[in-house]
Amino acid sequence: MSVNVVLVGHVDHGKSTLIGRLLYDSESIKDERVEEIQKLAEEYKRKFEFAYFLDSFEDELKEERTIDTVSLMFKGKKNFYTITDVPGHKEFIKNMLTGASHADVAVLVVSAEEGVQEQTRRHMFLLKMLGIKQVFVVVNKMDAVEYNKERFEEEKEQISKLLDSFDYATGEMLFIPVSAMEGDNIYKYSEHMKWYDGPTLIDALDGVRLEGKEKPLRFAVQDIYKVEDEETIVGRVESGILRRADNVVFEPSGVKAKVEKINVFDGELAEAKAGDSIGIIINGGVVKRGDVLGLLEKPPKPTNAFLGEAVLLDKNLKKGEVVEIRCGTAKVSGEIKEIREKIDSETGAVLESNPEEINEHDAATIVFATEPLVVEEFAEIPELGRFVLVKANRNIGAGVVLNADVKM
Amino acid sequence: MGLKELENKSIYILREAYAEFENPAILWSMGKDSTTALWLCRKAFLGEIPFPVIHIDTGYKFKQMYEFRDRIAEEWGFDLVIAKNEEAMKAGMGPEKGKLECCTALKTEALMNYLDKHRFDALFLAIRRDEHGIRAKERVFSPRDEEFRWNYRDQPLEMWDQYQTQGRSEKGAVQNHTRVHPILHWRELDVWEYIKQEKDIPVNPMYFANDGKRYRSLGCEPCTSPIESTAKTIDEVVEELRTTKVAERSGRAQDKEKAFMMQKLRALGYM
Repeated sequence: MSVNVVLVGHVDHGKSTLIGRLLYDSESIKDERVEEIQKLAEEYKRKFEFAYFLDSFEDELKEERTIDTVSLMFKGKKNFYTITDVPGHKEFIKNMLTGASHADVAVLVVSAEEGVQEQTRRHMFLLKMLGIKQVFVVVNKMDAVEYNKERFEEEKEQISKLLDSFDYATGEMLFIPVSAMEGDNIYKYSEHMKWYDGPTLIDALDGVRLEGKEKPLRFAVQDIYKVEDEETIVGRVESGILRRADNVVFEPSGVKAKVEKINVFDGELAEAKAGDSIGIIINGGVVKRGDVLGLLEKPPKPTNAFLGEAVLLDKNLKKGEVVEIRCGTAKVSGEIKEIREKIDSETGAVLESNPEEINEHDAATIVFATEPLVVEEFAEIPELGRFVLVKANRNIGAGVVLNADVKM
Repeated sequence: MGLKELENKSIYILREAYAEFENPAILWSMGKDSTTALWLCRKAFLGEIPFPVIHIDTGYKFKQMYEFRDRIAEEWGFDLVIAKNEEAMKAGMGPEKGKLECCTALKTEALMNYLDKHRFDALFLAIRRDEHGIRAKERVFSPRDEEFRWNYRDQPLEMWDQYQTQGRSEKGAVQNHTRVHPILHWRELDVWEYIKQEKDIPVNPMYFANDGKRYRSLGCEPCTSPIESTAKTIDEVVEELRTTKVAERSGRAQDKEKAFMMQKLRALGYM
């Protein structure tokens, strides 16, 4: 099984070090790379650090912090992992979101010395918004607190309180005391914490199960190609299963049709499932990029107003402003019709109801009035329930759909 | 990720870029990665590759690479174009003048001049995250500014599969474009397993062992050296890679001349 894991938490709590340790202990690092890092550490008069396997920008070494997200791949004892490191600085939240958006599960890293800090809170708020519910908590730097059990229990209580306030299911959550620097409870059991009887981090990750919920068919149209005089509609099955001879509808174009063929380069298919990049041929009708296909009996519904929860990474966004909204392959313009609540992305607290504008790093519940568009509620079909906001060709924010059809 | 998943994602990326940009092109170095990317283009566009295939010729490539290039271009029938920095070549640029200088003149500047002339707004490149720490930091859609530079400190927000598609600007210098990386998420082993599975992806024979050595990564003749290996077939290469502790680009001299060489090269627009 392959699992996407993101490590989140405050700056200096040891995310990069922990990943470096995982890679090193799983023997995923080439000898040459180890030598290279040793040489580099000498040259820059630093102590050898596992984090240098990840922080490959010179600026990152000099500033001793992660600036950009990075994904590395390695094989654990059982699963195959893509593990993503994100920066723990508020300044680089954009990079954190980029890295976290692909994750199936998250590992929250909290320093036993410092406990919950600003980015611990913000990262967990944002993960919750992105729908990443499966979280493992590691209390790191246990070596710096003499592997003290009471210290761990105190941290655990403090973290649970925070996560409970964001509605995470902390009752089923694993809390693991580790030292990434020394390698305790990461890949190998710790000799220093005999009082801990739970799994190591790698064993916990190897036990992950990814639930597959049954969802209705949705196919996002990317383009129309003419192949040997036939109009082939290319795109990706976002959810469910598409079969030859299905009766379908494309929205917002409103085209009803029958699927005559499902084509890939290698030949024809009888069916295609979620994730498949395919081409289809229908018995007539003009569709376009951005259309969403569904079965006639469970069709996608076009909307012109939806409620979303979004986080802003630009200076500000004002009521009445028009931005570009991208969802699936659709790109439409949408007006900020209503800002219902401005939310603190660190604490989740409502800062203001019905404000005129929001600012950088604010989250908010917003009603967007758009050109006809298909969006789905994130809780139902997440693949088409998340969107990005674009202004002047820059991606400035992202969010999830809470209500796909708001009556104006 | 399984091979099917990797392929699906690459096809999705290729189609997104083709829909969003007006004038794309793909870079081909005749190596395993970019040849696999060409194969993925054929899959994404159901046969023909609908844009030019650019080879940046430094004049220092291996003879076998030129032979391979001309043979595949003819077999697959795509629009092969060759970009060179003739001026620098005439002036005698070579690796002995410094590897950073040489790569920058013969690769980066050759590409920059070619882009300027042909006004491509997107370039497909077959780099992979697991090749190098600096490449691991890349976005799938990665903008290059007016000076051709990679602003790695301020990369776009790229969530889920929503890429930032900034077009070419209308004014000023015209080197700005978007690099699109369709196989960024593949590992070296994935590429070889895919070549094994697909059967029809051509492989340069230099990748296979001859007298106990084979090339693991192909580049310019003076700066590329082979590794010790006995792998003579695709199957044997796959087996070798499953257990090796040697880095893929260990035979590529330009990465190693000094610390952060790759970052410096790439910030200037190197691939």
